[in-house]
Amino acid sequence: MDILIYGLVNSFIYVLMAAGFTLVYGVSRLPNFAHGALYVLTGFLVWTFVNSAGLNYFVSILITVVIVALLGAFLYRFVLMRVRGMPVSEIIVSFAVALIILEGLRLQGIGGFKGFIGSSYTLPTFIDRTVSIAGVVIDAQRLLIVGIGLAIVIFMWIFTRRQKIGLAFRGMAQDEHAAMMLGIDSDLMAVLALAVGSSLAAIAAVAIYPLGQVTAETGYHVLNAALAVCIVGGLGSWMGAILASFIFGYATTFASFMGAAKYQDVILFGLIVLVLIIRPSGLFGRQKELEERV
Amino acid sequence: MLEVKNIMLFYENAIAVNNFSFTAKAGKITGIFGSNSAGKSSLMWTLSGIILDMRKKEIMRGGERITVLGEIIYEGANIIDMKPSDRARKGIVLCPERRRIFPESSVMENLRIGGYLANAAQARKTLSYVFEIFPKLKDLRHRNGGFLSGGEQQMLAIGRALMAQPKVLLLDEPLLGLSPAMEQRLGQAIKSINKEIGVTIVVSEQYARPLFPIIDYGYIIENGAAVLEGTAEELMNNPDVKEAYFGI
Repeated sequence: MDILIYGLVNSFIYVLMAAGFTLVYGVSRLPNFAHGALYVLTGFLVWTFVNSAGLNYFVSILITVVIVALLGAFLYRFVLMRVRGMPVSEIIVSFAVALIILEGLRLQGIGGFKGFIGSSYTLPTFIDRTVSIAGVVIDAQRLLIVGIGLAIVIFMWIFTRRQKIGLAFRGMAQDEHAAMMLGIDSDLMAVLALAVGSSLAAIAAVAIYPLGQVTAETGYHVLNAALAVCIVGGLGSWMGAILASFIFGYATTFASFMGAAKYQDVILFGLIVLVLIIRPSGLFGRQKELEERV
Repeated sequence: MLEVKNIMLFYENAIAVNNFSFTAKAGKITGIFGSNSAGKSSLMWTLSGIILDMRKKEIMRGGERITVLGEIIYEGANIIDMKPSDRARKGIVLCPERRRIFPESSVMENLRIGGYLANAAQARKTLSYVFEIFPKLKDLRHRNGGFLSGGEQQMLAIGRALMAQPKVLLLDEPLLGLSPAMEQRLGQAIKSINKEIGVTIVVSEQYARPLFPIIDYGYIIENGAAVLEGTAEELMNNPDVKEAYFGI
């Protein structure tokens, strides 16, 4: 029972971490390696607004999500757009941006800035109490993660099926040229996808950070998790990402209950290797090259 | 309506479209006929601007060098350098070769994605018009695009293009791989679309027979260059055309 409930929570943690990355890759075929950095940046921005500017917690969250969404849009417009179509450069450039953000946050000494190092940076939980479900004691924040994760999945489902922009996203994801012929602008869609994807990273950050500390290192962990989920699920596939999140969520929970919590990353990358051997395009991936050859 | 002047298109040093000029008169159907690799699709990509995106991607990839020369005069301006999405916004919509349906979206979703440029009223009106000329799509509206037959996909592709509110509709080999009966039906549908919503149509095809009855003016393209032009009747009575495109 413990495994069932904590596995569910962990699964939704993976869903939240990977949602933005999957969306951006699905719509514009851009691997946004700055995803984890935006996640960390959200944590520190919210912390700063609350503790230095003395703003209300929820107001700070709102402002931060907007800022991070704009940052994502700028990231495409002024950086990624110039190298789009060169896959290696896309990775290098977005990773460079990630390094600037993550290591910049740790930078010390400029203008008396002490750098965000150490374990003193935490975000408060939304509701501070514990709930007992079927005999399992769980804190409200973890339940909230499941709720927010579910809300995002449902929201994205409706958004990509009912809204014009969402439908255009789907068109772009399936056949870029066919979408262009219908008047859908590729660059505009990529800007929007990065804005939405970055705000999803921000929402994930404010949902998950209250469970632990805000440190720059988490950025790399989140990026790894997002990459692992997307590769196993099939790059750009929503269904695949959700399924892969559940596989990882339950696998890691099971491992920590068996007393092997420190092997989490081994499981993560072991599963990637396994999936790549059995199904190179991921669980729900499209084997596009093969299709075109037939 | 659409005046194309001296279009030249090169892939590296190979010429795909050679000094091609033509005019698509407003409200008429213009046919472009030619065999495989005559340059029909390249011409269509140039008209819709997709070739510019291909060129950009090839440059980024360090691949083939694509060169586009010439002029496309539309609504009084040369649009040869305009982005494909902007051209669609201005009313030039391509219904591509091999249909390029969104395979994971249902018929309804394909049409709704096609209606990206339309406002709510236009979308509703066009949707009911599409279901009127292609009643079969209405029955299949919840099926995934990838599971449709070739003929159904082609109807959907034309319907999807209509949803984008075209003023000039470019049809690239709409009859590719279809049965003669389906060719007939689609030919008729294209004619009625042209008549009923007054859209200018440019259609390219390999086989002239099913389309000759519906076109107003036609061009024969060989090795990227226009070798003959005339009304449907003039072309039909030309002995060379008879031999090459009607097999008589």
